[in-house]
Amino acid sequence: MNPQFLVDGLIAGSMIGLGAIGITLTYSILRFANFAHGEFLSWGAYIALALSGALGFLFSALKTPVGPFSFGWSLPLAGILAILLTGMLALLLDAILFGRLRAQRGAVIIMVMASFGASLALRSVLEFIFTSKPAYYTKALQIAVNIGGGLRVTPDQMLALALTAVVVFAIHLLLTRTGIGRSMRAVSENPALAGVVGIDVRMVIRAVWIVGAGLACIAGVMAGLLVQIRPYLGHDLLLPLFAAAILGGIGSVPGAMLAGLIVGLSEAAAVQLIGAEWRAAISFVILVAVLLIRPRGLFGRQA
Amino acid sequence: MTLGGGTNLVPALQTRSLIAGYEPDMPIVRGVDLSVLKGELVVLLGPNGAGKSTFVKAIAGLVPIHSGTVHLDGQDITAVPVHNKIRRGLAFVPQTENIFATMSIYENLLLAAAMAPKSERERRISTLFERFPDLASRPSRLAGQLSGGQRQMLAVARALIVHPSILILDEPSAGLSPKIVAEVFTMLQDINKSGVTIILVEQNVRAALAIADRAIILVEGKLRHEGSAATLADDPIVAKLYLGASATRKAGVS
Amino acid sequence: MILDLLAYGAFFLTMALTYAIMCLGLNVQWGQTGLFNVGIAGFVAIGAYASALLTTPETAGRIGGFGLPIAAGWFGGALVAGVVAYLIGALTIRLRADYLAIATFGVAVAVQLCVLNLEALTGGAFGIGFIPRPFAELAGNPLAFGLSNAGLLIAVVALLYMALEHLVRSPWGRVLRAIREDEAAAQALGKNPTRFRLQAFTIGGAIMGLAGAAQAHFIGFIAPDNYMPILTFQVWAMLIVGGSGNNRGAILGAVLVWGIWASSAAAVSTFFAPEQQARAASLQIVMIGVGLCLILLLRPRGILGEVRNVSRHIRKIMKSDDAELASRFLSKD
Repeated sequence: MNPQFLVDGLIAGSMIGLGAIGITLTYSILRFANFAHGEFLSWGAYIALALSGALGFLFSALKTPVGPFSFGWSLPLAGILAILLTGMLALLLDAILFGRLRAQRGAVIIMVMASFGASLALRSVLEFIFTSKPAYYTKALQIAVNIGGGLRVTPDQMLALALTAVVVFAIHLLLTRTGIGRSMRAVSENPALAGVVGIDVRMVIRAVWIVGAGLACIAGVMAGLLVQIRPYLGHDLLLPLFAAAILGGIGSVPGAMLAGLIVGLSEAAAVQLIGAEWRAAISFVILVAVLLIRPRGLFGRQA
Repeated sequence: MTLGGGTNLVPALQTRSLIAGYEPDMPIVRGVDLSVLKGELVVLLGPNGAGKSTFVKAIAGLVPIHSGTVHLDGQDITAVPVHNKIRRGLAFVPQTENIFATMSIYENLLLAAAMAPKSERERRISTLFERFPDLASRPSRLAGQLSGGQRQMLAVARALIVHPSILILDEPSAGLSPKIVAEVFTMLQDINKSGVTIILVEQNVRAALAIADRAIILVEGKLRHEGSAATLADDPIVAKLYLGASATRKAGVS
Repeated sequence: MILDLLAYGAFFLTMALTYAIMCLGLNVQWGQTGLFNVGIAGFVAIGAYASALLTTPETAGRIGGFGLPIAAGWFGGALVAGVVAYLIGALTIRLRADYLAIATFGVAVAVQLCVLNLEALTGGAFGIGFIPRPFAELAGNPLAFGLSNAGLLIAVVALLYMALEHLVRSPWGRVLRAIREDEAAAQALGKNPTRFRLQAFTIGGAIMGLAGAAQAHFIGFIAPDNYMPILTFQVWAMLIVGGSGNNRGAILGAVLVWGIWASSAAAVSTFFAPEQQARAASLQIVMIGVGLCLILLLRPRGILGEVRNVSRHIRKIMKSDDAELASRFLSKD
């Protein structure tokens, strides 16, 4: 087998891992599987596309590629704004939809259904605005660098891997070392007790939406940069995201990241062994295997 | 309306015609008027399903209040959300799942200490560790690994860290051995002597009456009887009517 | 002119009724049992392809084509979809409610992938053609053909409706609703919720397979594009509009939503220039998504709603004795 699959798998796994962390966090705190999470990836990618285009139009100097990378400063700047805006989008969705359903104290599954409807609407809005034609942040071509062992990596890909490592480390610190992170873990374990202890659960929910959507945005921009931007970008990643979140164990951030890498590497290996057309089936196989053998995943609590 | 100096006349906690329950059309607490004075240790008794637990949960903000009011030190806290009640000085210890099992002892305390000024948190935690040496031995231990009695200690310690004016406990003796129950009740008595008003929901009637100043009996969501703990304990009619259930059952078993 | 309209009406009704069958299947899973299926398109596709394989004439370069009668195809389609539903249900129903949703979502993705890539079996992206149509000998006369097909579907839906209503009223149906309303209480009565749920999920899946088969034979041609996630959405919208738990509502909702969908699609193709049609179509989908959320927010019981006898029963229990315990038991946190 060509070892290049390691690079492809790690790249795909990084995106899946970042998205799965968001799924696992919202799942463990809001207590429902959010089918609209994939749309945060797509929206993040498109918001960054629009902003980066606007920045490049206003200040053409920002379009000049930075160092060895394929993009100019307009993309990272747009990316930071996009993270904030994707977070806002999640908060808006919570305010007009999920929050109201929570207030009605309905069944969990109603939330799942609502997220299903929201995902459809969000995706089609993107299709309406940007059409289903693929878009790109940059047309610049990149030359892959040989990093030994027959592995070739583009500078953009290396940046994506490094960025993922930094972001995951930051999220880990946030959850274990800060007050808001502790509060998140507390709400995840027992929302009623969290309130009794003095934690404002609504604030924690808002924080979780922002963190989850922000991570999704980063994953979406990476997918857009390294592959392409399409309205179905997030939808097509949704099954791998769920597979990774469940394999890692719901509520476990390190689990989601590790499982994301496992799913990404398995997909890349399958592409080589069976063929690219079966890539999407891998997540389903992994999902079924986890549910069959160990439903609570690698690091999760009882399912 | 009380003017300066009359603070003793303002009840520490007062409910007026409190009606509460999970579902809007099914009140479980059906109009309870209760006043608890500063420094009192009041025990709330009654048969199973009388609404004791729902009553204290409603006061704490965990069960919707349909009508009526709750006043804390003369201030209306009926609509104050649950997480802000503790900031007003009202601490609640639920009956079950009253600690975060996946977190360490230290983290459990730190979570509650978060509303104290940053400079004071460590000091408050170490003060509590002096008071509860059992918890201090290994603060990094996961709370889920503690014994039943230790969990109860941790839950109470967590509630005390914010220096509450009133502490409400929902059956702290549930599931504990008699020896540990005695320890917990002694601890509550000490806390009460240090100036904290306590409301205690209990099934363990004799032990509770032994430490309480006053007892309240709820039946079917309504306040049926109240009196000093000593008189209630000796009142044969009351014992038979409201406390008898557990006594006769015990008698029947033995 | 009137005859044309009538023929179109028959065509419309037949299509709508195939959706009504899917909707009835979903109603067994969701309405009666509270099982969330996000992979309806997958189960419908399984039924359609299974039936097509069984009934089409032998074709060079494709496995299958057994030339069996249409009825055998319908039965086979329902059977295969039911088996898949059973397997997925056996895997996930004992777990959290959303795991079933995620797994069924996976089924839809996997089925889509299989019909696209197992070319030797499914014809790949081109799909399968020449699926025998009921009353094909009348094809020369559109009106007679349309009316007989509509009649056939009306008969199927009516039979299915009566069978399901019978099930709803049977002890089995009562247990299902009891489980949905209050699992712990049902368990206390000695009913194994997992087994009942699994049975309901399997029956629902089989009905969806039957719908897929019926639709495939009516159109005479199937391709992977017919079974995109949007199909799942449409069926959900139909059930929610009609009122989950209510079989008549499921049928009414299907006809209503299909009517709105078909007429808005016609409007899109009439009023928009060809290059704008894709965009307009995506707005149409936005409407469905927003509509679904709005109904969930504003009118969660749907248009007709459900006759709720179980909850009344539980209320009676609560009023009588241990109100607090019963309520703690039922509180949703």
